[in-house]
Amino acid sequence: MAMPALPAARYPNSELEKKMGALAIKNVTKSFGDTHILKGIDIEIDDGQFLILVGPSGCGKSTLMNIIAGLEGPTTGEVHIGGRVVNNISPKDRDIAMVFQSYALYPTMNVRQNIAFGLETRKVPKKEQDEVIQRVAKMLQMDHLLDRKPGQLSGGQRQRVAMGRALARDPILFLFDEPLSNLDAKLRVEMRTEIKQLHQRLKTTMVYVTHDQIEAMTLGDRIAVMKDGIIQQFGSPQEIYERPSNLFVASFIGSPSMNFIDCHLAEQNGQIGVSLQTDSDARFLPLPNGQRLAGRVGQEVILGVRPEQLDVAHSDDNVAAISIKVNLTEPTGPDTMIFTKINGKEVVARVHPRDAKGPGETMRLALDMSKVVLFDPKTELRLE
Amino acid sequence: MIQSTRPAQYGFAERWLPRLVLAPSFLLSLVFIYGFVVWNGYLSFTASSLLPRYEWVGFHQYARLFANDRWWVAVFNLFKFGVLFIGISMLVGIFLAILLDQKIRFEGFIRTVYLYPMALSFIVTGTAWKWMLNPGLGLEKLMHDWGWTSFTFDWLVNPDMSIYTVVIAAIWQSSGFVMALFLAGLRGIDDSIIKAAQIDGATLPRIYWKIILPAMRPVFFSTLMILAHIAIKSFDLVVALTGGGPGFSSDVPATYMYAMAFTRGEMGLGSASAMMMLLSVSAVIVPYLYSELRRGSR
Ligand SMILES: Nc1ncnc2c1ncn2[C@@H]1O[C@H](COP(=O)(O)OP(=O)(O)OP(=O)(O)O)[C@@H](O)[C@H]1O
Ligand SMILES: [Mg+2]
Repeated sequence: MAMPALPAARYPNSELEKKMGALAIKNVTKSFGDTHILKGIDIEIDDGQFLILVGPSGCGKSTLMNIIAGLEGPTTGEVHIGGRVVNNISPKDRDIAMVFQSYALYPTMNVRQNIAFGLETRKVPKKEQDEVIQRVAKMLQMDHLLDRKPGQLSGGQRQRVAMGRALARDPILFLFDEPLSNLDAKLRVEMRTEIKQLHQRLKTTMVYVTHDQIEAMTLGDRIAVMKDGIIQQFGSPQEIYERPSNLFVASFIGSPSMNFIDCHLAEQNGQIGVSLQTDSDARFLPLPNGQRLAGRVGQEVILGVRPEQLDVAHSDDNVAAISIKVNLTEPTGPDTMIFTKINGKEVVARVHPRDAKGPGETMRLALDMSKVVLFDPKTELRLE
Repeated sequence: MIQSTRPAQYGFAERWLPRLVLAPSFLLSLVFIYGFVVWNGYLSFTASSLLPRYEWVGFHQYARLFANDRWWVAVFNLFKFGVLFIGISMLVGIFLAILLDQKIRFEGFIRTVYLYPMALSFIVTGTAWKWMLNPGLGLEKLMHDWGWTSFTFDWLVNPDMSIYTVVIAAIWQSSGFVMALFLAGLRGIDDSIIKAAQIDGATLPRIYWKIILPAMRPVFFSTLMILAHIAIKSFDLVVALTGGGPGFSSDVPATYMYAMAFTRGEMGLGSASAMMMLLSVSAVIVPYLYSELRRGSR
């Protein structure tokens, strides 16, 4: 999608005015009767950041979104937008725009009327309305759709209109509730890029709900991983990917997901490490700065290894290498997934297709021990 | 296509069984509906009085009908009744549906309460309202007993107002039904549309007026068809409630036709009025059916 520059006059605030779209959610809980949906949510982001709320279905993402938008009130806690507490401010006065999972287009109005509705309600002069519609239509390349009804549009086009309706206003905060989940895979990737470009251009604070971890990783400045109404981890995509705070986050983010290998923490020759056993090899792999775990020697731990951290060992002197027997291969094009067993657990390695061996053959894999993470099997938390 | 893939021995039964099963009802409706319509049409051109008499008189009965005051009272009554009944039931029904749509408690119970009148026959409704509106028995007497002695509500016995009592009873009976139809329609509206409109800054009345009710157009038209149909057919309610009286002040075409054909010994006149009713119903139904069928075949 072409991205022409925005004209200077934007609605409703002038460009000059400094808009603070910082968002803070402070100890927000939500209960419906006896069911507690959100159990103490704390999130803070700066003006202009892109926040991702990610988590499995039913974890309370939409509920949190509705609370930010003011469509539902929190049971306890505070929501701050642009530095002011908005708990008692109605949705229309929060200066937000929202795109819904089901698009929520007004069925009897054509695209033009759909976009104009919010402007009309806010008593924007007719002439200005037309300018806004033209700008949005051009930006989203839907000039030719303006006179159609939502029923006459494809899923992708509807998605665009829903986006256009939000963009027609110039809010300090955009809320997207799974806007891409009804699109097919290809369109989804396209729209994802468009949203990212949009954010880079508008620099407006955005909150984006998804349960797609790729969307989460590619779009977000900050990611909040949720489960059962609790924030499991809140941080930058890189932090969450590299230093997941618990087993859930580690398994939820990344595809194929992280390998979890049960092992024993042991000490050999003054080095602390783990013993790995495969069908064709057994090794003790020392952990860099393993001394911090001295108190846990002899205990069970879970070793978390991402598939790309298991690569082909090219030189024989690599300490952290282990020979494995290939059980199955899955070529994906750029990489080939190698399935094997380590310590009795199924493990996936992502290697270059050139290096991949066939099922039944053995190959040597190197573990990047500086990147692996360890988890406590009982608390499921990452060991520092 | 499906049939051709099945074994041949099923062919005969499959082709003829449905027709055989449908044949009796087809024959019955052919004779007792269309046959009698034709017979009635024929009678309206004869000089039949107490009994059918096949003496052709041309449009004489229609001329008498159009010169008959009582017929015009009946026609205007139907007009007043139809417009008020359809209009008010629709408004009350939509209003109740919107209230019930606000996710209130005991919704199931309230819905049943409002829908219940529809389960009664018009005869029961008419009789019940006759008691309630009777100045000597019902509302007026109750008010008098409570000490409000200047209260009068004599519409039932007032020739200028009697048709409006029919309107009241019919609205009482049907608005719950209208409510149920609209409530089903409202429930089909995606919640997030309302949320989106709230964020767009619309007030609840504006949301309903500009977004939700326009989306109810199909429900509106089917409800209109059903109510129009009830209005034109209304006979039993009038008979039970006012009996067409006082005098013939609350007659409608159906009671007029019944009175002429079966109690006043004016069968020709009755047939002519029945034909007029048939024609006006067709004027409404035929274009509707035509548009529906055309849409269905497309
Ligand atoms: N009005 C309500 N009354 C009772 N429970 C509710 C209500 N709204 C939501 N819930 C419950 O709250 C939980 C969280 O719902 P929510 O819609 O926030 O999930 P979500 O994370 O957005 O899931 P999804 O990814 O499927 O959209 C669900 O278990 C849901 O059943
Ligand atoms: Mg949701």
